[in-house]
Amino acid sequence: MPAMCDEATMQQLVEAMQAGQDQLERVSALLEEFPEDARLQFLHGSMLISAGRLIEAHRALSRAVALAPDFAIARFQLGFFQLTSGEAEHALETWGRLDRLADGHYLRKFVDGLRCLIRDDFTGAIEQLQQGAALNEENPPLNRDMQLIIDQCRSLLARERAADQSGEAASETSLILQQFANKNLH
Amino acid sequence: MRRDGLRLVERASHAEAALWRRLRYEDDGACREPLFDLYAALARTIARAEFRRRPAYGLEKADFEQLAFEGLLEAIERYDPMHGAPFSAFARPRIRGAIADGAARSSEGAAQFSARRRLEADRLKSLLPAAKAGADPLAELAELASALAIGMMVESARHAANSMDALSAYESLAWRDMQVRVMEEIDRLAGTERSVMQQHYLNDVPFVEIARLLKVSKGRVAQIHRAAVARLRTRLRKE
Repeated sequence: MPAMCDEATMQQLVEAMQAGQDQLERVSALLEEFPEDARLQFLHGSMLISAGRLIEAHRALSRAVALAPDFAIARFQLGFFQLTSGEAEHALETWGRLDRLADGHYLRKFVDGLRCLIRDDFTGAIEQLQQGAALNEENPPLNRDMQLIIDQCRSLLARERAADQSGEAASETSLILQQFANKNLH
Repeated sequence: MRRDGLRLVERASHAEAALWRRLRYEDDGACREPLFDLYAALARTIARAEFRRRPAYGLEKADFEQLAFEGLLEAIERYDPMHGAPFSAFARPRIRGAIADGAARSSEGAAQFSARRRLEADRLKSLLPAAKAGADPLAELAELASALAIGMMVESARHAANSMDALSAYESLAWRDMQVRVMEEIDRLAGTERSVMQQHYLNDVPFVEIARLLKVSKGRVAQIHRAAVARLRTRLRKE
């Protein structure tokens, strides 16, 4: 059994992070001592993303998932990071194991919503992401990220609807012009 | 085709970091080209500024661009993405250095051909028919001319407005239609053929630099170019 960081230290770390304190150095130091603690690897990965150290972030999140394949939030975040990196196929592969979660689990809804998004099914994406947000009590900051996606999907759908309507208007206009031209020919 | 859903969530900095990660640590050479495409505009901007700033020693603007591309490729090979400095900061002095070196070589009289002539020479050499006993020289000349015309058409698509100045309205339309078809057919080509055609005709990258980009020999690039042009001709004839 590999050595793991104690619960009290983990709790302190999470609280300090939530209070906006930079804990990167502290987590790096703890990882020297507990390199196989998936929770530390996950926290490290999240902090590295914020610090813009994206290659190291990918490494840390991947390590967290490799160490603890059922660590659902780490798996979700690794897939989400892959998605934002233009690696949708990898994201889908990473998320596959989350299908083992219960039907009503918020992460399953989020994953289903993002799968809809990948297929350009924006209505489905909004529906699933909203359901996920309603079920999520454990990770409120994640709801903010998903809400941003919901908002973007809505404005994209609104733009599409507006474009369809102006397309219809244009084709009506061209129909009238066509009839006018035909009339003038005869 | 890129999907809108992916575009909504993709972040440029994340996508670029993934390309560097795969190139450097996962040995995925295919990432070299998208990285080159990402920074080709930077190389061109530096080339333009350097062309205005330094004595050209008989070089043209296109020569400066190609020297800048050499510098960019060199920088892509050498960049350590874990080092911290963004790639543009790392590449800028190297691109300028490549231009300065190239201009110095030219001032020594080493450069015999302008970049434009080198591109054309690459192209012609790749398309020249192999000497065959009993071949009809006139037919071969016609084949060569149509192959070269495809290249001209793609190049002129970049400067469509100018190319239509001397044409009648109908001719312009027909020419434009043909250009669109050629561009669509290039998009439909398979991986390396598409890369060679796009880099050579749309970005003016000479065969020798494409060879470095794709990690193949210059002779292989010439073969791929020849095959791609032949495929385009066959497809355009069919339609």
